[in-house]
Amino acid sequence: MITRRQFQTTMVGGLAATLLPRREARAAGEPYRIGSLFSYTGPAAFLGDRMKRSVELFVEETNKKGGIQGHPIELVLYDAASESSKAVLAVKRLIEQDKVDVIVGDGNRSDIGLALIPSVQRAQVPLMSVSGATSLVEPVKDRAWVFKSTVNDVEVVARLLDFFKKKGVKDVAMLNDTGAFGVSARDVLRAQAPAAGVNVVAWEEFQPSDNDLTTQLTRIRSTSAQAIVCWTVTPAGVVFLKNAQQLGLKQMLVHGFGFVADRYMQLAGDAAEGLMLTSLKFSVAEQLPDGDPIKATILDYKARYRAKYKEETDVYGGQAWDGISMVAHAMAQSGNAKDKIRTGLETTIKEFKGVGGIFTFSPEKHWGLAKSDVVMIEWRKGKFQLVDL
Amino acid sequence: MIGGGPYIEALPPLADVVQFCFAGITIGAIYGLVAVGFNVIFNATGAVNFAQGEFAMLGGMLGSALLGATGLPLPVVLGLTVLAVTVIGVLLERLAINPARGAEILNLIIITIGASILLKGTVMVTLGKNAAGLPAFSGNRPIWVLGATILPQALWIIGTALAIMVGLQLFFGRTLVGKAMQAVAIDREAARLVGINVGRMVMLSFALGGAVGAVAGIIMTPMTLTIYDAGTMLGLKGFAAAVAGGLGNTMGGIAGGLLLGILEALSGGLIASNVKDVLAFVLLLFLLFFRPQGLLGRADSERV
Repeated sequence: MITRRQFQTTMVGGLAATLLPRREARAAGEPYRIGSLFSYTGPAAFLGDRMKRSVELFVEETNKKGGIQGHPIELVLYDAASESSKAVLAVKRLIEQDKVDVIVGDGNRSDIGLALIPSVQRAQVPLMSVSGATSLVEPVKDRAWVFKSTVNDVEVVARLLDFFKKKGVKDVAMLNDTGAFGVSARDVLRAQAPAAGVNVVAWEEFQPSDNDLTTQLTRIRSTSAQAIVCWTVTPAGVVFLKNAQQLGLKQMLVHGFGFVADRYMQLAGDAAEGLMLTSLKFSVAEQLPDGDPIKATILDYKARYRAKYKEETDVYGGQAWDGISMVAHAMAQSGNAKDKIRTGLETTIKEFKGVGGIFTFSPEKHWGLAKSDVVMIEWRKGKFQLVDL
Repeated sequence: MIGGGPYIEALPPLADVVQFCFAGITIGAIYGLVAVGFNVIFNATGAVNFAQGEFAMLGGMLGSALLGATGLPLPVVLGLTVLAVTVIGVLLERLAINPARGAEILNLIIITIGASILLKGTVMVTLGKNAAGLPAFSGNRPIWVLGATILPQALWIIGTALAIMVGLQLFFGRTLVGKAMQAVAIDREAARLVGINVGRMVMLSFALGGAVGAVAGIIMTPMTLTIYDAGTMLGLKGFAAAVAGGLGNTMGGIAGGLLLGILEALSGGLIASNVKDVLAFVLLLFLLFFRPQGLLGRADSERV
């Protein structure tokens, strides 16, 4: 479905493409065309809204400053509607009709992102993903055109296992949703836990649309698990907290990095008190020490977003902001030819200070962040508190 | 086994089985209420109202929005919400179903599918895409029974489902209007011949369907939350419950809902959480194979 706003953006893009004489790429002033695909309707909309706005904000600010090396950005936005089939069609349109140079955003769901990979690989268009699953960028030889601007669950799970070790937690239970985000984390945990000396004593799953998890939690209750890890981005994660409270579970409750949202915490009420979460530094930016390399970057982005939209952004908006920032950085260095953007990302994004962390891409590594970009936070007294940097 | 725990070798403790049953009965009562809504409208029109899940979603979403916007006491908000959804049900009937009254059943069903998309979209645009909650009616302190816990809200859910079932049973059996609706369900033409205003009965069925749906949505939301697209899955489960119980049968709807809920919880709890939906529906298919008319349906209730 196309909203009026998008329609206008698309129309302006379309008109410009047909009315302006086609010139050689690199001619000064020719617009750089960036396609964008987020889900701002459907279950993943609560992530996609701020992502879309962040990208729009970046384009507006960049164009006001004279564009990328004198090239204005033309943004073509489509709604992935939280559905892979719609997203695949939209990407086809971005590539074939809108003829974009690069795509930022993969419908902000791991399973949608995975569905887009064949299209962008075939058309050889760089795609900056904003979703969590590691399989979006690994193995790199089959994902040569895909990059991501957020952390991989490989790093997050490794960070979490470090934390468990530090706290003396030996037995844990895993409770993930059956979407790609949850399943990917489950597989990563399965692979990493033995080496970390952590014993996963229960593997449970739920549908993203489930509204009762007491059966799964009851099964976990009779195991020796000291901590229960829940991995989802859906409201079912709130039900997890409420059900755990109902069953009187005393275990440490942990959420993955897809659940760092004040609104979810408020919906869960006092059931969320004491919940541990893996997160990027973003959500606790104000509490970071002043010497932290990305503290100022985060606060700056937050302030700009607030000034424009009169609302707070979140870590997911930040992922999209980082995605388009890095794409623009690569285009500024290497121009808008598709293969140049790709090599530009691989070679010029080194120690890039984003709001999500410090990014370094290479031909072998298409995700930029590391374990050190992940922190442990706790929801306590109505606020996310930094627990373990 | 995929993702399964080392569970099968030992029998699970009794407390766990009790816990699974509590979960199943609670969620089953919700399915049952949605099923009752399906049945009421099916009886009057012969059509399956695919917007039934949306009535439940509306109950939760409108209730939550109204509470947030007005700050009125919870019972008042809930009353207003049920009223509002009832009116929406009536409007749906007046504006979309009634104008197509001469049409085939299939057309009516397609109209209800359209209505479901319209309601979902309207809620998304006006009330937003975020999940919404409601405060629990009597707190969140769990009650311990046989080593298992149950929330006061779950008792509200089960109690309300039973009350509505008994209420509807009395309404259809003892009141003139209720009997008139039954008459329309049994034979539309004969009912018209004896002077029953069939159009009004159809409208009334949508009012009832809307009200029952809204109640289901309201009582579940404190436990399960709701979101603008929650109606689809609820509708599906409710429909399955209605079919299992015998389409058109009020008692059957609740029974079918409880059966589905308990099957889900037990298969999820005793086997593995990822086979929950599959197993529950396979068992339902088996049931329909041996009893095509549903649990409590009459074998002779050929309708369409």
